Amino acid sequence: MKKELGSFVIGDSTRCTGCKACEVACFAVHQKNQTNQKNQTAGSRSGRTVGTITAPVAPRLFLTRFEQGCMPVQCKHCEDAPCLNVCTKNALIRIDHQIVVDPEKCIGCKDCMQACHFGAVALLPEASDSKTPVLKTVAVKCDLCQGRAEGPACVQVCPHQALRLVNPEAEQEDKRVKAANALFLTRGKGGQDS
Amino acid sequence: MIVAIDQNICTGCRECAQVCPVSAIEGEQGKPQTINTARCVMCGQCVQKCKSYVSILEHGSDAYERVKKERNLPESVTEPLFAAHAVCNLDKVMAALKDPKKFTVVQCAPAVRVALAEDFGEEPGTLVPGKMAAALHKLGFDRVYDTNFAADVTIMEEGTELIERVTKGGVLPMFTSCCPAWVKFLENTYPELTDHLSSAKSPQQIGGAIFKSYGAKLENKGGEDIFSVSVMPCTCKAFECERPEMKDSGFQDVDAAITTRDLAWLIKEKKINWDELEEMEFDRPCGVYSGAGTIFGVTGGVMEAAIRTGYELITGEKIPELDVTAVRGTDGVRRADIRIGELTLRVGIVTGLKNIVPVLEAVKAGTINLDFIEVMTCPEGCISGGGQPKLLMDTEVEAAYKQRRDSLYEHDRELPCRKSHENPAIKKLYDEFLDEPGSSVAHHLLHTTYCN
Repeated sequence: MKKELGSFVIGDSTRCTGCKACEVACFAVHQKNQTNQKNQTAGSRSGRTVGTITAPVAPRLFLTRFEQGCMPVQCKHCEDAPCLNVCTKNALIRIDHQIVVDPEKCIGCKDCMQACHFGAVALLPEASDSKTPVLKTVAVKCDLCQGRAEGPACVQVCPHQALRLVNPEAEQEDKRVKAANALFLTRGKGGQDS
Repeated sequence: MIVAIDQNICTGCRECAQVCPVSAIEGEQGKPQTINTARCVMCGQCVQKCKSYVSILEHGSDAYERVKKERNLPESVTEPLFAAHAVCNLDKVMAALKDPKKFTVVQCAPAVRVALAEDFGEEPGTLVPGKMAAALHKLGFDRVYDTNFAADVTIMEEGTELIERVTKGGVLPMFTSCCPAWVKFLENTYPELTDHLSSAKSPQQIGGAIFKSYGAKLENKGGEDIFSVSVMPCTCKAFECERPEMKDSGFQDVDAAITTRDLAWLIKEKKINWDELEEMEFDRPCGVYSGAGTIFGVTGGVMEAAIRTGYELITGEKIPELDVTAVRGTDGVRRADIRIGELTLRVGIVTGLKNIVPVLEAVKAGTINLDFIEVMTCPEGCISGGGQPKLLMDTEVEAAYKQRRDSLYEHDRELPCRKSHENPAIKKLYDEFLDEPGSSVAHHLLHTTYCN
């Protein structure tokens, strides 16, 4: 099936315990990309352990508490994305159905942050390009862990499967097949139609 | 408090309660948790698990510095801080290193050398005994001794005790006593079984007692001049060294126990460039160790080391196969029958403290048919200890444990001496100071009693 709609990660408050493993993994994966790009010098490599981290934890999904419980909230990769629509600097772009930020173009105006209906865009200090280690405050958001073979880190680490990568069309198709099966069974049992 | 949960940061997810082997973490789901200190064995598995970090957004812009101060962490620490945490004794160590009147001695547990480098961005399990020793020399320790050496002594004492119990009809099965969390658990929960514990102290405490007696003599110093530091993969070792009976040298045998993570902080605090460190040797004689002492860091390692020595001491012959693969592995409960001459030694290995309960019940019921049981609290022995570098993602933990384990076995294979009783420094220690295993000097310094 041809993919026309963007995938996204969604949380499930009935399973989430609020442990923040997703936030830490999200941060770890993006921090690693950044540090390794930015600085390969002695003793500053970012590794797999907490001890190698030198920056405040800044995830791209947000464990959110509400009256009935908690769950992580992140970008839906909207088809008519308000963040992308309002950006006057073309710093938000759609690549392969995903909305990603180009930190070199971003001026940190917060328009996208305001426009997002889900609170999924944050403004955080980031390295603006690969050559200079200087940080500037730019829009950051879920990029579905672009290029990561194992897929989004948050989904992978959740101890309760409270996060899931949704491929909307495939799920729709799945549901339709299930519905068809159910109808078939109803008829097979000598349903009303016959 | 050795291990604690910060009420202001805990989200109440109770993931830590899942890994706590003694159900010591109490509280309602979604509310901050507390540790029942009467039950807690200070293994630090909750510290490894916790992902609830101090956040500027959630806890305020000054929260990080405040928490850092409360926990007594070095200035240079910038890494994320989490709700569940362990005590940090680096201030005592830094003060001693600065004090010209103190002769500072340090020892590192086997598992530290296969994990320390991880906190400098190296791959999990990277084996770095030479760099670790170099860092300790650079930090200014007067003697860089080693827990692996002390582990070799443990084998001499514990092995001799086992042979005695087996041949002369002592209390069996005998349990190993290296793991302080396990010892605390037995004292707390099954006090009637403490006579099954080997009376030999743990390697940390054996090292401590030797450095302030034999070690002091070698330097023409008194035990009071020595400040003894241990670097451990374990959070509970800080408890063990403060036990009131652990002063057989005439002084507190180990003055401060820090963790692998603490040592990484100290190296960074003192601006030592890890990547540029040239490998160095441990100091002689108490830094000379065998492969047997090295594998104490993995589950089954104490057993294997004991078998290598026990076999040769009992039969007077060379052990045909040094790698005792029958006792290796990572399953929580394993058992094997080991042929030693005429004798069949029935051994058990338990790792992960939860797994010991059915075994203890069987011991109580008299239905167990084992002679010697090694017990470690942490999931795969000390390499998975609560004081080890903490992985950011739990999905990487299993592979990291495997790499640490493989590295310890590799280190064992490559050492010139692989049996405790053949370690020349051990022979010298007994010749010059202890006389023989179980001698009255050895008994006074290296053995202990338990609370019941």
